[in-house]
Amino acid sequence: MNKKLLVSALSSVLALSAMAGCSNQTAQTGGEGGTTTAQGEQTLRFGVSGFEGVFDPILSDNVYDSYVTSLIFEGLVTNDPTGEAVPKLATWELSEDNLTYTFTLKDGITFSDGTPCTAEDVAFTYNTIKEPDYAGPRTAVGAAIADIKVIDEKTIAFTMTDPSPANLLNNFTYGIMSKDHYAHSSFEELAALNDQPLGTGPVVLKGWAAKQYVDMVKNENYWDPEHALKIDGVLFQNVEEDAILAALQNGEIDFCQPAAKAENVEAVEGMDNSHLVSYLANGYTFMCFNTTKPTLSDVRVRQALVYALDRESFLQAEYGSDQLVSLGMCPVSPTSWAYPDVSDLNAYSYDLEKAAALLDEAGCVDTDGDGIREMNGEPMHLRWLVYPEATWPGTLSGMAYDSWKQIGVDLEIVQMDFNTVAATTMDAEPGQKDFDIYTMGFSLSIDPDPTGGLFDADAYSAGGFNASGFRDERSQELIKQGLQEFDQDKRAEIYKEWAARQNELVPTLIVAYRSEIWGINNRVHGLDDIGVYTDFTQLISNVTLD
Amino acid sequence: MKNYIIRRLLQIIPVFLGILFILFFIVDRAPGGITSNIMDPKMTPELKAALKAKLDPDLPFYTKFWNWLVQAAQGNFGFSQKHYRPVLDVIKDNIGCTFALSLIAMIFSMLLGIPAGIVSATKQYSHLDNFLTVFSLIGLALPTFFLGLLLLKVFAVDLKWLPSFGLSDPKLANAPFLTRLGDYAYHLILPSLVLGLAETASFMRYTRSSMLEVIRSDYIRTARAKGLSEKVVIYKHAFRNAMIPIVTLIGFRIPGLISGAVMTETIFSLPGVGKLAVEATTTRNYPLLIGINAMLTLTTLVATLIADLLYAAVDPRIKYD
Repeated sequence: MNKKLLVSALSSVLALSAMAGCSNQTAQTGGEGGTTTAQGEQTLRFGVSGFEGVFDPILSDNVYDSYVTSLIFEGLVTNDPTGEAVPKLATWELSEDNLTYTFTLKDGITFSDGTPCTAEDVAFTYNTIKEPDYAGPRTAVGAAIADIKVIDEKTIAFTMTDPSPANLLNNFTYGIMSKDHYAHSSFEELAALNDQPLGTGPVVLKGWAAKQYVDMVKNENYWDPEHALKIDGVLFQNVEEDAILAALQNGEIDFCQPAAKAENVEAVEGMDNSHLVSYLANGYTFMCFNTTKPTLSDVRVRQALVYALDRESFLQAEYGSDQLVSLGMCPVSPTSWAYPDVSDLNAYSYDLEKAAALLDEAGCVDTDGDGIREMNGEPMHLRWLVYPEATWPGTLSGMAYDSWKQIGVDLEIVQMDFNTVAATTMDAEPGQKDFDIYTMGFSLSIDPDPTGGLFDADAYSAGGFNASGFRDERSQELIKQGLQEFDQDKRAEIYKEWAARQNELVPTLIVAYRSEIWGINNRVHGLDDIGVYTDFTQLISNVTLD
Repeated sequence: MKNYIIRRLLQIIPVFLGILFILFFIVDRAPGGITSNIMDPKMTPELKAALKAKLDPDLPFYTKFWNWLVQAAQGNFGFSQKHYRPVLDVIKDNIGCTFALSLIAMIFSMLLGIPAGIVSATKQYSHLDNFLTVFSLIGLALPTFFLGLLLLKVFAVDLKWLPSFGLSDPKLANAPFLTRLGDYAYHLILPSLVLGLAETASFMRYTRSSMLEVIRSDYIRTARAKGLSEKVVIYKHAFRNAMIPIVTLIGFRIPGLISGAVMTETIFSLPGVGKLAVEATTTRNYPLLIGINAMLTLTTLVATLIADLLYAAVDPRIKYD
């Protein structure tokens, strides 16, 4: 009796979940529902967690949804492995005043439903961003574009708000959407099409289920036979970090990006069915000083604190491998053409004596004999905001607590969650940013332009990214020059001087440059070229499977 | 009885509104907002402020509370800002798995835990009792993530009997219903085992202590003195009374059916409400957070009522009017 009850209860529960699970499926199969899997189908399986189902190039706001949109959609331009802009759907010409880009679409481009992709579709995509009720993450693109003019079926001109060598890669890599498919009268109507993507790319969406999978198959109507998919499809499978290496080892997934930790490198290298690919990422972790505080406004005090921080030991303790991380020097990534000569940079090697001497020189000495230095009567007591979502801020601040004590600096480590740190440092009004030090990581765009970022004094505001409050006129001048110069070699010189200057003045210390690692099954060919400027979606047409 | 139910149902309304009001207040005071974790230098403060004004207009929390109530009354529970989809749809995507997982785990733990508790109590201090006690203490003490990863290693990685992640095989998305059902069951074996084992232990402990108390009472001695068989004494007279604290326990577990189990969901990469709630908090996706909490609050209130009604069913001495 009980057994029967159990069985029927179980099956009704499962029926419920089956219905809930399939609710997404019905929406997108779009007539192709009947094609069930043939044996031996060649599908590339990506183990990943974090996709949200926003498969719209102008709405997707996280890297995993963006992987899906970069497979299904194509932009006007893309970048090559060195980070240079190259044509994708269109070639371009820049006007004499560096303000107007005229794009000419390649021949024969069609959307996956067979309809042609014209200049009208391009205009539609960018006009949608500029609609007043558009509430997506690309408003900066809308603001950068002043005017859009369709010249003929294949030609379209964009006039920018300001000339900038970064305009091309910042604004024209986003996927082009079909104006017929995405016709909408309100933002909600547009958003409702999130999970029914239609683009010009080499794959189309077959179905997806929240936090389970995204199933994509080859676009049979793909316009560019040279870059058509050689495999039958791409499948994203939701696997959390805890189980991802087990899934790779089991052969349940073909590739994944585990956290760049020594134990994960070892684990992947120990697998006989998979291999490791690693490269230095375009980004850094940083430690920001609140330079509006009287003590921290003195460059010697900041330098002293950096000298008294044993970052080499920190990197060993935290990452356990030289392969995965290198010492941070300046706010340009070593992967960039704008990275200065290392001899122009100070590595601030651990030196407590030098640190103490710098503090003495700055007039920061222990006058009352309590072991803590004072400056202008104020004791050197610093508050460091640390968030627990990553482990490294805790490790670094813990080491600083010990070593700074030896030079007479008292550190208080304050724990809060990531958003609270962001709200306290960046979102708060100037003058009310209640911290002395905070740490975070930052990814960079391909173009090294630092406008609006951590080191731009004009971004010191409520909601701006510069929380240090540091202003150096020469640095600001260099940032402006960098945007007026269109010759890359000359630009590089400007940014090199700028970067070296930040390294010397340390309003914000670059803590480390980190690597990214991928574990790839040996049956996959063509993905080993994943690199800092080349994500796997750009390699998808090279991929073959054993 | 009918009056009692109506009265209790009416009581739910002010309690529910009160809890929601406090929730809106807390959310209003929480630091950070929907645009706090945008890390794009091209998004100037002005652009961020404009975006926030569209996604989450700056209104007093009681106004937001009122607007929410008005819209909820029309069946609109808000718009999840990270998903660009209605909150109800996002929850729907996750609740099926949570419900199936928790219900299987709960049924499994009751079927195993309650009988084990009875046996344990009737044969107090026997070898069997000692064994079950030790077993249940291990079950209670073992952290879910440890047990989960252990079973994952043994059954998925080493033996390869079971899948290591997910709820279903995407290639079966268009397969016949029964095939899909089997596939779900196959994927849920490990997670529900992990989730169920800890609960089995707690059901067993509760049943054992409750049973021991009842067995020592006078009317059980009377029943035995009447010459009733031990079976009848235990299962007919003692068991029903011993069930009362268990019913409370079950009542407490009902909200758990939809609130999810973050650890288990994370280890086995399952969709689930628990993880969704955590994500809503860390991304400051307040409409989703409020939607999930409103649902949980309501379920908890109704579940408490159901537990109270069940008391009357198992214990004739309890009468409501």
